[in-house]
Amino acid sequence: MKKNLLKLAAGFLLLAPAASMAHHSFAMFDMQKTVTLKGAVAKFKWQNPHAWLEVDVPLTGGKSERWAIEMTSPNNLALEGWKRTSLKAGDKVTLYVHPLRNGAKGGSFQGVRLATGATLGQVDQ
Amino acid sequence: MSVRYALLLFAGVAAAHPAAAQMGAPTASPPPAGLGEGESAGYPSGRYDELNQLPDWGGIWFLAFDMPAPNSAPPPEPKLKGEYLERYEAWRKEVAANNGVAKRERSNCSAPGMPIFMQIPQYPFEYLFTPGRVTINQEAWMQTRTIWTDGRKHPEDPSPTYNGHSIGHWEGGALVVDTIGISDDLELGMGMGHSDQLRVVERIRLSESDPDKLLAEITLTDPEALAEPFTLNVSYRRDRNGTLIEFQCSENDRNPVNEDGETEYL
Repeated sequence: MKKNLLKLAAGFLLLAPAASMAHHSFAMFDMQKTVTLKGAVAKFKWQNPHAWLEVDVPLTGGKSERWAIEMTSPNNLALEGWKRTSLKAGDKVTLYVHPLRNGAKGGSFQGVRLATGATLGQVDQ
Repeated sequence: MSVRYALLLFAGVAAAHPAAAQMGAPTASPPPAGLGEGESAGYPSGRYDELNQLPDWGGIWFLAFDMPAPNSAPPPEPKLKGEYLERYEAWRKEVAANNGVAKRERSNCSAPGMPIFMQIPQYPFEYLFTPGRVTINQEAWMQTRTIWTDGRKHPEDPSPTYNGHSIGHWEGGALVVDTIGISDDLELGMGMGHSDQLRVVERIRLSESDPDKLLAEITLTDPEALAEPFTLNVSYRRDRNGTLIEFQCSENDRNPVNEDGETEYL
């Protein structure tokens, strides 16, 4: 449902130019595609214009790569049950994101599953 | 350089300026257009009782997305004309050729101004009522918009600003606002320019069927840019105990605009 809402919102953004932009356009993300990232939270910033999540995703061979995930505004996240303390550095998470179109390690937040099994946002089954 | 030293230096530079004679002296702006001394919102004392007559718009408000019916027609757009239409069509072509990505001429830390001010998703806003004025605080870009309800007129030649010059009055529970003086560097909607003749008339009221819903009917006229007046209806939903969150964009600008007008992602 949330996914459909997001798609609808994305469509609305294209159709209604006046209401289109929040802080910046979503055009940089591939909103039709979802990437799953398993890793550990490096940083969670609870601030406007967007909350941010940085996650270290382990690669084979012991190295890891850092992804920067953009979220919506803290006040909007609060409506979905988020708090500033919902995530902290070191937390093991599975993240679902709409990736950047340019292939860089970033994306728009869709949902998260915590180590406890609790979820926030839209999480694929 | 210490802050104290910087302040002293600033004061020193200011003191060298002819206006320095007035530094520290009380200022006295003239009454606003159409009002005499003592009649403006600058004299609220003794008038706070009047506020009890106003409708209950407390809490914070989020732009509401009303679900369009499946297969419904796209929402109407303002009908631009002349050079404004040509520029919009050229902009649309450029965006289509650029995978739907619009170039930006301004920082993403720069607010859109009116009338987009009233259509910002994600970030809530609040109304404050004081005698002779309505103040809107918008979380996004930490903006303040003032609507003068003390009976003043627009200035004859208002300086162009992002939110323009707004005067308003109450008609029952509806706040009716007239805004001019909006900078023509800004947009009506994405890619849609307007002239310095843009006028925005808003009629804002609570929904009769849902007291936690606020409705705004916004009419745009612009004799140079618009072929006909354009009216849009937006609604907002209330969070009674919500509060606005700081928006310090310059300290969290992870989406700077580069010299090619592309929004980056840090």
